[in-house]
Amino acid sequence: MFESYESQGLFDEMYLPDHRARPHYAAVAARLESLGTAAFDRRREMANVSFINQGITFTVYGDQRGVEKIFPFDLVPRIIPASEWQVIERGLVQRITALNMFCDDVYHEQRILKEGVIPAELVLGAKMFRREMLGVEIPRKTYIHICGTDLVRDRDGRYLVLEDNGRTPSGVSYVLENRAVMKRVFPTLFSAYRVRSIEQYPRNLLACLRSMAQSHALDPTVVVLTPGIFNSAYFEHSFLARQMGVELVEGRDLVVDGGFVFMRTTGGLERVDVIYRRVDDDFLDPLAFRPDSALGVPGLMGAYRMGNVALVNAVGTGIADDKAIYPYVPDMIRFYLNEDAILANVPTYICARPDDRQYVLEHLHELVVKSTNESGGYGMLMGHQAPSSERAAFATKIAADPRNFIAQPVVELSQHPSYVDGHFEGRRIDLRPYILFGEKVVVMPGGLTRVALRKGSLVVNSSQGGGSKDTWVLEDEGVQAQPGQASSISDDSIAVGI
Amino acid sequence: MNVVRETASVHHRSRPMLVRAADAIYWMSRYMERAEAVARLLSVHAGLLIDVGELPSHAEQALWRGVLATMRIDNVPSGPAPLPQRVMRFVTFDPQSPMSLTSCLTRARENARAVRERISAEMWESLNRLYWFIHDQDASRRFDESPEDLWREIITGSMLFQGLCDQTIAHDQRWHFTQTAKYLERVDYTCRAIQTRLALLTPAEHQVESPLRSLHWSAVLRSCCSIEAFRQNHGTGFDPLAVVSFLVLDGGFPRSVLFSVMRAREAVTAVAAETGHAMTAQRILGRLEATLRYAQPAEIAHQGIASYMQGLQSQVAEAGADLQDTYFLY
Repeated sequence: MFESYESQGLFDEMYLPDHRARPHYAAVAARLESLGTAAFDRRREMANVSFINQGITFTVYGDQRGVEKIFPFDLVPRIIPASEWQVIERGLVQRITALNMFCDDVYHEQRILKEGVIPAELVLGAKMFRREMLGVEIPRKTYIHICGTDLVRDRDGRYLVLEDNGRTPSGVSYVLENRAVMKRVFPTLFSAYRVRSIEQYPRNLLACLRSMAQSHALDPTVVVLTPGIFNSAYFEHSFLARQMGVELVEGRDLVVDGGFVFMRTTGGLERVDVIYRRVDDDFLDPLAFRPDSALGVPGLMGAYRMGNVALVNAVGTGIADDKAIYPYVPDMIRFYLNEDAILANVPTYICARPDDRQYVLEHLHELVVKSTNESGGYGMLMGHQAPSSERAAFATKIAADPRNFIAQPVVELSQHPSYVDGHFEGRRIDLRPYILFGEKVVVMPGGLTRVALRKGSLVVNSSQGGGSKDTWVLEDEGVQAQPGQASSISDDSIAVGI
Repeated sequence: MNVVRETASVHHRSRPMLVRAADAIYWMSRYMERAEAVARLLSVHAGLLIDVGELPSHAEQALWRGVLATMRIDNVPSGPAPLPQRVMRFVTFDPQSPMSLTSCLTRARENARAVRERISAEMWESLNRLYWFIHDQDASRRFDESPEDLWREIITGSMLFQGLCDQTIAHDQRWHFTQTAKYLERVDYTCRAIQTRLALLTPAEHQVESPLRSLHWSAVLRSCCSIEAFRQNHGTGFDPLAVVSFLVLDGGFPRSVLFSVMRAREAVTAVAAETGHAMTAQRILGRLEATLRYAQPAEIAHQGIASYMQGLQSQVAEAGADLQDTYFLY
């Protein structure tokens, strides 16, 4: 099934340029190469049926009511050896620490702005900047408790940060379900490896949430707040509530009385201490933010500011994952931690800067332009692929509102074998690890590997035809001392971090 | 003695339950019970056609109009196909009609999805499978091949679901809400099945044993999953009063009205105890239970079967409405 496999000049996760499997992929490659199409298809079918029956679906909007779909699952696992992961992990911990210090700074002293490290107008003028949070004390000064940071690898195999998701990152439920399905349909694949377990995530998440409760609560009541059953990530909200054994609430289930938050139960009102909210800032409280929001809870912001309830993530973290702020994260790390960034950014042009803007407008055909206020692959121009009419339209938009745009050179994402119509082809992938910032910082070993299933596509978002893979972080280097197998690791195979 | 005390002290107050979740779990259970009843009703009538062979056209029409009437569907579906086929397909698949199998299973599942974290994975998966089964592109073809098979799948699916509900979640208020819903729905259905059947024959036809009378009243029993239990106690004559008395007053039989009222009364009492909120439904169902326990078939005959059924239905509806007012209004 690998006969026609090509590296297409990209960094290939599984194969070296000479078509030998990288040492940590050798066992999986051997197994897959020996497996027939029929056997593989059977497993794929098992996995799909399992996703459907368990209702592991998301809703795609576009047509009137939305269609329930399964997130396409690619059975070939992505493998990361321990030494690579150590660097990623340190880089992520460093990054979330700096981002939290940044949020706290912005909503209190604003040192980083006063010292001119980041232009003040960029932060204070951001849509996601929440004036309501100025001077508000929140538990443990932690703003981003749960972060999903998107990493990609370039042609040289270097891990780069594409963006941080510090508001309500989603996808972790698929990570856990992918692993569960993988164990069921491909148990033998695991046997050659020591794959780190990810099952403790819900327990760690609950511990993180509980650690944000006010001191009065010996046994704090934690809830997950969802926009409701029609939200595209509803499955995940329900999944996490179930895994943690806490209530899944909607805005209408909560009521604020006397500055405290309660949920309506059949036995009367029950006090709520911590809300893991999967509702955007804008919709949280119609009295404080969008008055037309039916998803929120009137008075919630007041209760929050009084310290009577904890919100996770905090309100106002949107400034930290604003695409216009992203280019400054390495500066932030230097400023707060006096360290160099362990994980590099993708080089970025900030259209708000006149020089950068000029460059971007002149090089649209080779850049990726992103709207700073959109996510999920929307509002994006792939300059090298787009027709000139679309480029012209973007040029007009950029000139009209430069603050709203950044641009990056096209990163040729690494590719990974994916099963396509009876054989394997290379498809681009990224990686979203999940970081919990509670009493301690815990990085889930692994994360969501997303695959751009369309040939040649660089867009991995689920809303844009992406799929996902199980991601294995190994306890070791994944090299088996088997006779006849290369035991030395070539330089090529451990291209790690920076 | 100490052991008893210690056991009591580790008994936790059960987890509070969101009003919205209680509402959803109640309707999940009601729609599931309804789906099963609809599937059985269709299956029984399709089977009758085979059993009796040729029916006079007007009798056949009446039979299928009776099916619609039992489901409280007013409009007869239009189309070129013969009436039986039209009704079967309509009641199975019509997405607009709230009583169709598709609708019942969709609503049961939507409600289950809203409380996914409060029901067991087994319950969810069994219901989800049924949902995809009826929504599958293949369902229509399967229906054309053998509607009976499709309905049977739904009936056994519902029974599996109910068994899982009994065996895979704690019997706390969640479960009590499912039981209340299931049994209230069952009483309502049984009363409707009896009522509509009365209208299909003249009073004189109901009085005299005939193949037609047997056909109709055995259909009622079958659609209530009660034919075997009835035969074991009452033989093969299908005297309407005997059938109705069995379906209403036999407290030992899980499909009877009395049995259902007892279970529903127990369930609402348990909910009230757990939540600390008493409700009128306890009194309504308690009174109804006492009445049925000591009722005689002659009383039903004296009041008239139709009127008696009406009375039962309105009391059960009142209990359901009170439950909603007490817990679900938010």
